[in-house]
Amino acid sequence: MITITELTKRFYDVVALDRISFEVGRDEVVGFLGPNGAGKSTTLKILTSFIPATSGSARVAGFDVFSQSLAVRRSVGYLPEHVALYPDMRVSEYLNYRGRLKGLGGKALRQRIATVLDLCALNDMTGRIMGQLSKGYRQRVGLADALLSNPPILLLDEPTGGLDPNQRREVRQLVARLGEEHTILLSSHVLAEVESMCSRVIIIQNGRIVADGRLEDLVTDLKGGRRVFVEAGCPVGTLETACRAFKPEPEILESGARETGSFLAVPPLDDALRAKFLRHLVEKDVPVREFRVDSYTLEEIYMKITLAQEGSLDREPIAAEGEQD
Amino acid sequence: MVGYLRTSFTLIWREIESNFYSPLSYIVLTMFLLLNGYSFSISLPESNWVVSDAIRYFLGLSWMCWLGTIFIPPLLTMRLISEEKKSGTIEMLMTAPVTETQVIFAKYAGALFFYIFLWSPSLIYIIIIKRYGAVPDNGVIFSSYCGVFLLGSSLIALGVFTSSLSGNQIVGAITALVLNLLIFFIPLLSQVIPWDGVRRVLQQLWVFRHFQDSFSKGVIDTFHLVFYLGLTTFFLFLAVRSLEARKWR
Repeated sequence: MITITELTKRFYDVVALDRISFEVGRDEVVGFLGPNGAGKSTTLKILTSFIPATSGSARVAGFDVFSQSLAVRRSVGYLPEHVALYPDMRVSEYLNYRGRLKGLGGKALRQRIATVLDLCALNDMTGRIMGQLSKGYRQRVGLADALLSNPPILLLDEPTGGLDPNQRREVRQLVARLGEEHTILLSSHVLAEVESMCSRVIIIQNGRIVADGRLEDLVTDLKGGRRVFVEAGCPVGTLETACRAFKPEPEILESGARETGSFLAVPPLDDALRAKFLRHLVEKDVPVREFRVDSYTLEEIYMKITLAQEGSLDREPIAAEGEQD
Repeated sequence: MVGYLRTSFTLIWREIESNFYSPLSYIVLTMFLLLNGYSFSISLPESNWVVSDAIRYFLGLSWMCWLGTIFIPPLLTMRLISEEKKSGTIEMLMTAPVTETQVIFAKYAGALFFYIFLWSPSLIYIIIIKRYGAVPDNGVIFSSYCGVFLLGSSLIALGVFTSSLSGNQIVGAITALVLNLLIFFIPLLSQVIPWDGVRRVLQQLWVFRHFQDSFSKGVIDTFHLVFYLGLTTFFLFLAVRSLEARKWR
């Protein structure tokens, strides 16, 4: 449904997007992750034909975003990062107006408005002047507007930005429901959200895609993504000696003293070796109080990917050329 | 095509409505009615109680009429695009399936509608004259209104263009005002230009002369018609290009 090929966007001297390429298939829900200024919003703006790319091509629902911009805009529901509404209009008037702009009318429009008001829990707000709406409700009106023409593709720029935890959960549930029959590309920098909403993640940084894949795969792919953590009721020296006596000798990633003991972390060991390691420690009379396998949290993976020197991660799609950073 | 027209109509209707939501519109309306009423009240004595002269004076020759036509359009147009840019609604608008041309035309049409709305109470004065005075020349009335309409149309198009230049209403209004004054006064400056050809061209461009020679005499000259419609088209074209300019960066 969305195909981006070698897309580049420059704002004067600043390279916002550097030859990014990816595809989003039908009914896929893809999270677009990255720190602020990475190029997420720029990509979405190009996909809605709001701004053109400097080079490369992008097709949405089979239409080219440059030459067939009206057809693209008809098949896309777009929620911008900052939902700007006319302060002088009422919610119902606004949805009516937007529906007409999108080519709806008459009974079909009334039905769609009723549907999206339901979906976005806006039924009590139809008579409100939009200038008086809270951020959360403005966001919902924006979302209702994006859904109005029931487009096959939804581009949501930070759909949960500025919402309180309850509202965020509602939006997450809504996106999950919509994902069943819509293609959704949503940007976010809240990882937990992407984790709960998206089957696939694209991580973008400095205008380049640094990771693209299923979340679980990203987690397992990252070598060293897990570590074995041991806490024991003995001085740190004793713990380290016992650890070094294990063959093969594990590298100690981190160690230190705790109030009544010490802790230590070693790289992940496979299942058999891990059992042996524990028995070894016990046999060495180490009073093990805690023995666990730490997973990297999504946050840590994200930091690892976005903070990694380019090239140290042998991930395609874009090979480091040393011109950035 | 039907869809295109329907979308255009939706946009135009929204612009017409929004004029009546804006408090500024009511300030402009009040100012204009005061000015217009005063202008009418002095037009009869100023023209020695000759009714047809009074109407010419009122619709095109008095300085108050010029004040209205030069200052009112920038006030009506200054917020049109700059406000959408500043508040960010332009992004919502331009990501809907509408073209830049539709948007610009709707803005222009909405402002022009309000401009006509401003002038429409002046018909009452004409009715009063007809009721109590001598029968005025209907041709002169019609052509005078045509002049007011055509001049307003071109200055509104200019205002739509200057409003599209920045996200600041004041910048839009002042630029429009300065350009309006230039259009009005540059032909006066032409008197110091030594080249005969240039001077003649500039003299032709003097909008005040169009009124004196044509509209206020009951004549709708094709040259003047084309001149104002051309000016309107030219500035609307520039406005469309200016709205598209985000795509050139």
